[in-house]
Amino acid sequence: MAEFLNTYGPLIVSMVLGALLGLSLYLPLMTGQLSLASPGFYALGGYIAAILSTQVFPTNEGSFPIPLLLLEMLIAAIVSGILGVLVGIPALRLRGIYLALATIAFVEILRVLSLNLEITGGAVGIFGIPQPFASPIEYLWVALPLLLISMFLLYRLEIIRFGRAFVAIREDELAAGAMGINPTYYKVLAFTLGSILAGVAGALSAHFLNTWNARQGTFDASIIYLTSVLIGGSRTFVGPVLGGMVFTALPEILRAVAETPGLPIWLAQLLRDGRLIVFGVLIVLGTIFFPQGLVTPDLLKKIKRQEQ
Amino acid sequence: MSQQVLSKDNSILEAKGLTRRFGGLVAVNNVSFSVQKHEIFGLIGPNGAGKTTLFNLITCLLPPSSGQLIYEGEKISQLRPHQVASKGISRTFQNIRLFGELSALENVMIGRHIHSRNIHPVAALVSGMLALPVANQQEKETKQKALELLEMMGLNDRTNEKAKNFPYGDQRRLEIARALALEPQILLLDEPAAGMNPNEKHQLSEFIREIRDRFNLTIILIEHHVPLVMGLCDRIAVLDFGQLIALGEPAVVRNDPAVIEAYLGDD
Repeated sequence: MAEFLNTYGPLIVSMVLGALLGLSLYLPLMTGQLSLASPGFYALGGYIAAILSTQVFPTNEGSFPIPLLLLEMLIAAIVSGILGVLVGIPALRLRGIYLALATIAFVEILRVLSLNLEITGGAVGIFGIPQPFASPIEYLWVALPLLLISMFLLYRLEIIRFGRAFVAIREDELAAGAMGINPTYYKVLAFTLGSILAGVAGALSAHFLNTWNARQGTFDASIIYLTSVLIGGSRTFVGPVLGGMVFTALPEILRAVAETPGLPIWLAQLLRDGRLIVFGVLIVLGTIFFPQGLVTPDLLKKIKRQEQ
Repeated sequence: MSQQVLSKDNSILEAKGLTRRFGGLVAVNNVSFSVQKHEIFGLIGPNGAGKTTLFNLITCLLPPSSGQLIYEGEKISQLRPHQVASKGISRTFQNIRLFGELSALENVMIGRHIHSRNIHPVAALVSGMLALPVANQQEKETKQKALELLEMMGLNDRTNEKAKNFPYGDQRRLEIARALALEPQILLLDEPAAGMNPNEKHQLSEFIREIRDRFNLTIILIEHHVPLVMGLCDRIAVLDFGQLIALGEPAVVRNDPAVIEAYLGDD
């Protein structure tokens, strides 16, 4: 067991973080808005935690205090929330592909900024972020409750007035407006909630990965989490959670498959290094054959009925 | 009744020189009328006469190119659609715009959106996500009201079915239930009888009268079926090529030469 945890501990924690990022992308998508800004807020949250823990908080011997970690996550949430509103208000005037482009640009701006600012460590990034835990698997003590709480809050969100307003806008923005729903308000709200979640996940990830640089939360990451939401399912929070987990693990699985003896070299290489190609193909196939993703509300209802 | 209807003080909605252009096309041209409280106001005219454009102007989906709309003494043409809806103008759509993936119940519950308790939005969001009693109570009330409306429309046996799976006539009914959920002052119905058989049309006309009295509504409706409009409406406005060519009680409008010409053509 111990050996299993040592080998797969980092992967399991990554999967939980992947699920959180899937949820952060899912939130704006609840209102039908395809935003790829999540990795930007993820990167921001990571830098906040990295800078605070290496430069602001006293670094004494021994492990980094967990309350400080939680404080960093809170600060990351607040900063991401404020920036989310500021970015969301102008960006959400755009629709569809234009919003996606604007959010990609936002992520790029943050990346270039972090590459060139001194406080973010430039291209090298920030190293030696203090560890609150002795081994990677112990990060689950924070990551798993965070995921479970987020899932509960999203479960609730979907069945209350706010969630209904989100989905009404997704289904038909014009009709939603005719029902007295202010589309801009709810789009910005959903976008901001997603930003907060991404920022919090980033703060935790910075400690977990021990180092943070401009390669975290790039356009590549957008594509991976977009895949997890679109294939996992974009109509219920269960979809992005499962999708986020599966697609975080997938590159590792592909890498293992690539080791199988007797595979043609080109195939082994594709499996090992071609994850973005694989994800791209999955996005295309998924949107054609499963426009709502694999985990849909109907599917969940069916499962519930069979259990009874 | 008709005396009260004609009294000028009782106006709830007034259009003054309302005009809407799309490029070179004048879809609504200098239209003025006033709708009285508790009236059933019919809007008829040949295809392309500008009826739906007029509806879109009243619900602020479109800004007018010129002219004014006055609702209960307030200019509304510069408002956004959700603001007009919150003020009490609710509508259905000619080409039915339900939230198809959602259940009938959810559709009507969304119609209750503006009738939430008066607490700060952040407090409402947090209490809702944490399942606090105050939020649960509110959800229960919303659901109860929605179920009442669905029952009134005779849709209470399929409240959890997706709206898109409803037959056409039931979708129209569901859309009316959703519009009523806003508890509007004015209800705009865009071709409510489209696709219904004569028997259903007759029932619908009874039903529209009934909801007018029950909810103390003012109803403005677009309808092609002339006998239905003539039998149902207190007053009728006739549009042709964007212009108001006649306005008055059904018997008067029916015999108006301009109306006959618009409908039958000039020989």
